[in-house]
Amino acid sequence: MIAGLGLIVGGAGAGLFGSLLGLGGGVLIVPMLTLGFGMPLRDAVGVSLVSVIVTSSASASVYLQRHVANLRLGMTLELFTAFGALVGGLLAYLLDERTLAGLFAALLIYVAISMLVRHDPRAGGEGAVANDAETSDDEEPPSGGRDATARLSGPGYRIRHIGPGLVGSIGAGVVSALLGIGGGLVKVPVMNVIMGVPLRVATATSNLMIGITASASAVIYLVRGGIDPSVAAPIAVGAFVGASLGSRTAHRIDLRVLRLLFVGVLGYTAFEMTRKALLL
Amino acid sequence: MKVRSAGSGDRAGQGSLRAPFDLDRAIARLLTLGTYLSVLLLTVGIVSMAAAGRWPLQSPGVPGLDLARLPGDLAAARPAGFLWLGLLCMIATPSARVLAALLGYLRFGERSMVVVSVGILLVIAASVAIGLSGSGAA
Repeated sequence: MIAGLGLIVGGAGAGLFGSLLGLGGGVLIVPMLTLGFGMPLRDAVGVSLVSVIVTSSASASVYLQRHVANLRLGMTLELFTAFGALVGGLLAYLLDERTLAGLFAALLIYVAISMLVRHDPRAGGEGAVANDAETSDDEEPPSGGRDATARLSGPGYRIRHIGPGLVGSIGAGVVSALLGIGGGLVKVPVMNVIMGVPLRVATATSNLMIGITASASAVIYLVRGGIDPSVAAPIAVGAFVGASLGSRTAHRIDLRVLRLLFVGVLGYTAFEMTRKALLL
Repeated sequence: MKVRSAGSGDRAGQGSLRAPFDLDRAIARLLTLGTYLSVLLLTVGIVSMAAAGRWPLQSPGVPGLDLARLPGDLAAARPAGFLWLGLLCMIATPSARVLAALLGYLRFGERSMVVVSVGILLVIAASVAIGLSGSGAA
């Protein structure tokens, strides 16, 4: 009984943190299941992918309703992330647990550092959509790409560097499937920094995309018996509750305190995962 | 009639007296429905598992996914039936969203987005095929 409640509470915590900080819950769920509940890493990744789908579906519906997410851009990029996820899902069954644990520890350190130096997207307010990625006329795409660029662009911004964006999307898919995370940590910078998508639109579009990325690899885990429904169900329900709560309380919480707390948790988890990678 | 979606590159609905079809909102409703249905099924599964005195990570665990046994498990109100159906609904929801988008783009003749949608569904189908072939080999 304690395990069941622990999974629900853990899922809720991951969903809450994820929605408040703009991350999928995977970076917390995988270490919680492996270090806290003794699950094999590959099984934890399978469970985590389910919770990523929950978070994506719940939040993407809101972002689409409000026309913040860019459906055309998201679908175009997710064709490539889904392909990357397919490759990553296969690679996950070829790599050993220690390698996966080491990769996960590296990911946690990267997330912790980027959280420390990260600009708060909410600080820019509504105007941030139009202001944080200005259209640059000096970066006109080749004539063949103009139609595609116009079609994928949105109100107040124009997409650029589609090619590198597609390559980055494949990488995001591979990382997502290997480590059981949404991949937003890769997708958002790719869209914002490389493709010139405003941060708020990039975050919303990433939320939309992670559902397909995770489901492409979750299918492989599911069919190969890599998802335990008795663990995935409480985690998913908890993540749903936590994400819903987070989206309603985000404006009342001091994100600086939360971010420091989160960095501390990530740092400790990275240390434990590194130990696991070295001592397994 | 025009299709409205963020990122259309035009200002959907401007200059048109007819209300645009809001593909974004239609897909949002589908995602909401899929999420709520999945969470409801998973919750019923958890409660019925607890009522039967079984908890996560206990041995023996929930039986593996067997589509042929699923209707029987649901009819007998066994926890495994609700848990597996909830997970299948959850994992299928993003693909259902792509299918809905495909139908929308087909309706409005957006060929490039039709190609993209079909491509995504093909990758998902490839995942299922590869997963099945791997499980068969194992």
